[in-house]
Amino acid sequence: MDKFNIEIDGKTIEADPGSMLIEAADNNGIHIPRFCYHKKLSVAANCRMCLVEVEKAPKPLPACATPVTAGMIVRTRSKKALEAQRAVMEFLLINHPLDCPICDQGGECELQDVAMGYGKDLSRYTEGKRTVKDKNIGPLISTEMTRCIQCTRCVRFGEEVAGFREMGGMNRGEHLEIGTYLDHNLQSEVSGNIIDLCPVGALTSKPFRFKARAWELQQRPSIAPHDALGSNINVHLRRGEVMRVVPRDNESINETWLSDRDRFAYTGLNSDDRLMQPMIKRKGVWETVDWSLALEQAAIGLKEIINLEGADELAALASTQSTLEELYLLQKIMRCLGSPHVDHRVRQIDFSCQDAMPLFPGLYQSIEQIEHADQILILGSNIHHDMPLLALRIRKAQVHGAKVHAINPLPFTYHFDVQHDCVCDPQDMIILLMGIAAALNISLGVEASISDTAKAIATDLQSGKRVTILLGVLVEHHPQSSLIRHLAKLIADQCLGQVGLLTEGPNAAGAWLAGMVPHRQAAGKKANKMGQDAAQLCETPKKGYVLFNLEPLDIGQTNVMQTLKAAKFVIALTSFKQADLLDVADVILPIAPFTETVGTFVNLTGLWQSFTAVSKPFGEVRPGWKVLRVLGNLLELPGFDYEDAFAIRDELKAQVDAFTPDAPAPLPAITKPSAQEGLVRVGHWPIYRGDPLVRRAQPLQDSGLNGSVAAFVHPALAVRLKLTVGQHVIVQQSHAHIQLPLQVDERLPMNVVYIPAGYSETAILADYAAVILGAAT
Amino acid sequence: MIEHQNLVCFRGLHLPEPWTMAAYESIGGYKVWRKILAEQTPADQLIADLKTAVLRGRGGAGFPTGLKWSFLQRNAPGQKYVLCNSDEGEPGTCKDRDILRFNPHQLIEGMAIAGYVMGATVGYNYIRGEFWEPFQRCEAALAEAYAAGLLGKNIQGKGVDFDLYNHLGAGAYICGEETALMESLEGRKGQPRFKPPFPANYGLYGRPTTINNTETFASVPVILADREDGQKGCDWFLNLGKPNNGGMKIFCVTGHVNRPGNYEIPLGTPFRDLLELAGGVREGHTLKAVIPGGSSAPVLPAATMMELTMDYDAIGKAGSMLGSGAVIVMDDTVCMVQILTRLMDFYYEESCGQCTPCREGSGWVHRILWRILNGEGHIEQLELLESISSKVIGHTICVFGEAFALPILSFLKHFRQEFIDHIKLKRCGVADGQV
Amino acid sequence: MKAVKKFFKTFFLWELLLGLKLTGRYFFVRKITLQYPEEKTPTSPRFRGLHALRRYPNGEERCIACKLCEAVCPALAITIEAEPREDGSRRTTLYEIDLFKCIYCGFCEESCPVDSIVETGLADYHFEKRGENIMTKQKLLAIGDRYEPEIAAARREDKEYR
Repeated sequence: MDKFNIEIDGKTIEADPGSMLIEAADNNGIHIPRFCYHKKLSVAANCRMCLVEVEKAPKPLPACATPVTAGMIVRTRSKKALEAQRAVMEFLLINHPLDCPICDQGGECELQDVAMGYGKDLSRYTEGKRTVKDKNIGPLISTEMTRCIQCTRCVRFGEEVAGFREMGGMNRGEHLEIGTYLDHNLQSEVSGNIIDLCPVGALTSKPFRFKARAWELQQRPSIAPHDALGSNINVHLRRGEVMRVVPRDNESINETWLSDRDRFAYTGLNSDDRLMQPMIKRKGVWETVDWSLALEQAAIGLKEIINLEGADELAALASTQSTLEELYLLQKIMRCLGSPHVDHRVRQIDFSCQDAMPLFPGLYQSIEQIEHADQILILGSNIHHDMPLLALRIRKAQVHGAKVHAINPLPFTYHFDVQHDCVCDPQDMIILLMGIAAALNISLGVEASISDTAKAIATDLQSGKRVTILLGVLVEHHPQSSLIRHLAKLIADQCLGQVGLLTEGPNAAGAWLAGMVPHRQAAGKKANKMGQDAAQLCETPKKGYVLFNLEPLDIGQTNVMQTLKAAKFVIALTSFKQADLLDVADVILPIAPFTETVGTFVNLTGLWQSFTAVSKPFGEVRPGWKVLRVLGNLLELPGFDYEDAFAIRDELKAQVDAFTPDAPAPLPAITKPSAQEGLVRVGHWPIYRGDPLVRRAQPLQDSGLNGSVAAFVHPALAVRLKLTVGQHVIVQQSHAHIQLPLQVDERLPMNVVYIPAGYSETAILADYAAVILGAAT
Repeated sequence: MIEHQNLVCFRGLHLPEPWTMAAYESIGGYKVWRKILAEQTPADQLIADLKTAVLRGRGGAGFPTGLKWSFLQRNAPGQKYVLCNSDEGEPGTCKDRDILRFNPHQLIEGMAIAGYVMGATVGYNYIRGEFWEPFQRCEAALAEAYAAGLLGKNIQGKGVDFDLYNHLGAGAYICGEETALMESLEGRKGQPRFKPPFPANYGLYGRPTTINNTETFASVPVILADREDGQKGCDWFLNLGKPNNGGMKIFCVTGHVNRPGNYEIPLGTPFRDLLELAGGVREGHTLKAVIPGGSSAPVLPAATMMELTMDYDAIGKAGSMLGSGAVIVMDDTVCMVQILTRLMDFYYEESCGQCTPCREGSGWVHRILWRILNGEGHIEQLELLESISSKVIGHTICVFGEAFALPILSFLKHFRQEFIDHIKLKRCGVADGQV
Repeated sequence: MKAVKKFFKTFFLWELLLGLKLTGRYFFVRKITLQYPEEKTPTSPRFRGLHALRRYPNGEERCIACKLCEAVCPALAITIEAEPREDGSRRTTLYEIDLFKCIYCGFCEESCPVDSIVETGLADYHFEKRGENIMTKQKLLAIGDRYEPEIAAARREDKEYR
């Protein structure tokens, strides 16, 4: 339908049919006061603040719930409208405590702002005010429910957006209270958004509690460094110190939301573990030294390895939390020194499809397109924890009618309806996928049995017009990840759909582009000299290692600690002290985390998002790219005279733009999977254990979303092994054994033992490897 | 003198055990339903009859039923619903309870006809939570009707489906509001929805829905039945009452009368006659005031009331509402401050709390009135009360705001002096004759 | 004649006597000189001198760390840091006024919602070392404790205009 004209306050404006009056007014800069209305939530029309006069209507109408009609004449500031708005304001204020001086929302409070315009100086209310008991809803959000004006934005957010109804209204009338009914920590991974939504100070940030006032804060834009979405954030600082993180609107990425991980991880920035000065190990004792000495030691160490052992004995591993610039410089140093052994895929086991990879792994569609998919198959991802905001998009699609299917080796909880939630052991995942492929009449060359589930999923996928298959981190870490990718590709092609890779960390795509892989140089050029991948680098020890932003427990390979301990020389560039790292490294160079450095993250749609430092580096800390630049100079390598970080980015960008990559190699052939024998340990980095920064964010650790550190098995398996819940069991793998308490989860497959990764207790265990459980004596 | 009485909803009241199917059929029950099923009467004709009879909604608003039923197209695709609002919570009202207790079959027949007219195959009878005995009667009646093959799928082999369910509420006054009733029926918290969209477009489970009062549904079979004298039911019904106020209405007379109770009398009967029927005010006392339509209707003083006839238009013209027909009679021993405070206690407790003016306003007036009642009031608070009331009216999602604000305004309009005296004396002066 | 007059005036030291007359008059007039610091002039209750932080009678500090004084201070002399105290209440962990920056405008006092930061009548104070110009929370509270009667009296006197 065409747009038509309406008149608001004497101004003729265009409005979309079906839109609400308040939207039309907002689009044209006419402000109507409101509390319960939010552009991303359903209309509740319960605060009544947006009452306006509409010609021919007997009563003032709420602008948020009144659809526009052609020729409508609206007055938002007429006597009738203002009287209604002032009346509502008075009602809202009678039971509001007006404790603005001690309220964290003071200065950025919608009620305060609107009261300035519509409130009276003196209240006519002389009765006692209502008080409401505060609820304890966890370590992230502090409540002051007496301030609540019952707008129900938080309730609607949980119900409509997060898909996890935790807040609700209890009681009637004046006794209406918003809360969780039973006090418990909010379990939603996007709960922090209700802080932004709350128009008053009823729900505020607990880590930020009483720390600063809105007017003291400086706002700097940045990019969130925890998942591949690259959520846009604003960092708020006071006197140069990061005080909090809030979302920055970006419709195409994070809309107006932010995951709790991105919002509260900043609390790890000032942890006691932060490194202030470079350190070197002399005769097994750590000493803090100045930069010139530390860098000199680093350069000498590297040169020694090259001179004595050869460049081939040198390797570099980096995490995807590193910026594009840092990764580019790191691989440049390594390749200039003659070592092709660089990798960032430290948790991957199967590399056989690496030549078949496109320029960078990603979604290969826009994030918004996920919303419009009608069949979504999630493979190997705890989507709500791995990518909280992408999960919200999937939820939107599901609410609009899309069917979602999931195949995982571990049981996960979804906040949307999942048509088929298949939890099966790693090998059965492949068998199920083959079944789906076979049901879709794809010739695989090997025999495949079609189970009922496979048939049902195949039928659904075939009926889809916009099919998306998302491969998560559990597929990435899978020992036959290439095979799964191949099958997913075949299925997607058959259904005219798309395969998306949900990578870990904020910059996996950037790492590929920067050449932080052993088989490709920067911009995806084929490497002159093929390097060894992360698994080989950890399996067969090298003499020298450079660890960039990595702690040993971030590495998912077998024998990491032995390998690193055996090395002659290890340089660690990192922001935090960590016991394992102190154990293996010889030189530690403190580099700045994302708030203190300038850089670029490439998100899973291939979008390059550059950000600048929001605050000064802590102590003697230096941005990683500067450290690498100086290291390059000290090693007398050519081409390390960058003026600033953007010069590095531009250099890489020019290479990427100039180079057309060859068509990726074909995916490796499909082989028949073998049945799983014995027990297999499947690990997963819990939501708040994935990177060094988030592991140090205490409020997130306290939130309880990580789950416990234990060996989880199916109850029947526990019975079969004669083990009881809570009992300490010995977890035995070929090279290591540890003790863990036993927990049961009846949704687990019979032969899978889930042991979370990301803890020093469990770091020694290999992922997707056979395991034996026995009672501890 | 009142010529006719108990001819519509209470027509079987003289029988022993009138709630049984046998008793109902003995007075011509289910004849209409069987006839409609047999003849497949066009829905338009039935609606036209209802329009002729001018059956106005008995729940309080007085909206013409024939018009309401015409909003739902019988042939429109998709699921449609018929709801009966038996959540009779208005203080002073007890008519639906007696229909449910003594004449449940007539309600079932009425709802079945409604379902047929509008093509709705499912009906719900939402019964107030406190009505346990009536609920059981309804359940028994429903079982009888199913057993007789008058409800269910493909009724009497005529290809008409209608399933009816009784649903017991949980005791919230606000669930008598039609959209809150739907929310409650869907399993959510009973809170009114914003309108538009109206239930005819977006009702129960988002489907087109018609919702009527118990008395309205129960009146339908009588209207559509032909009289013994050959007269059409609808004409007879209209002629019972006044033009534009067809038929009979049950008045629930409560308060200071000698014989309180439910009286089904023609609309347009003078109040004087109704009062006489109820035995008049207590001996030795004079009539002071009457609330003519349930606690949310504005109060009228005795002098006005004695000149009025009991119908929608006359009472509306006098500044009140016929509402649900709950006539609350008060004699000269009544303290109006206390009455209003008691009413506001009720509304304070029963506001759903969804929208601001009602949630906050109901508590505010409740507190002020208690202050006045306890002798702690100020004279300015009377203006404050009026100001609060006028700020609630027209600003809320549902009419609950009006339901408590209009009585305040009417009490202050007609009995302001009593409030002033209360404030000045710092106690009630009515009881000891000081006022 | 003029010359004679002038001679006699000079001879009898007439101008000197005129001058002494003024001296003499003031010799007998009531003295206004005060023996500072033993004696002091009376000050207005609104006098804006050294700052103090007050407490409630039960000993609880008044300041709730709302930071309005910090925001309103035109000389940026106030620095506040806050966090939840053990009992969960909002309190300052740092409250400092740099008296070198302070211009004694009294805005802090006016902005305070709980009458915590006040300017006392004290005008005579000095610093001997650099750094003493920073009034810490302890110092300000100590001043408040010591002069509470005077502070309270001044506020009482002025209460109708506040």
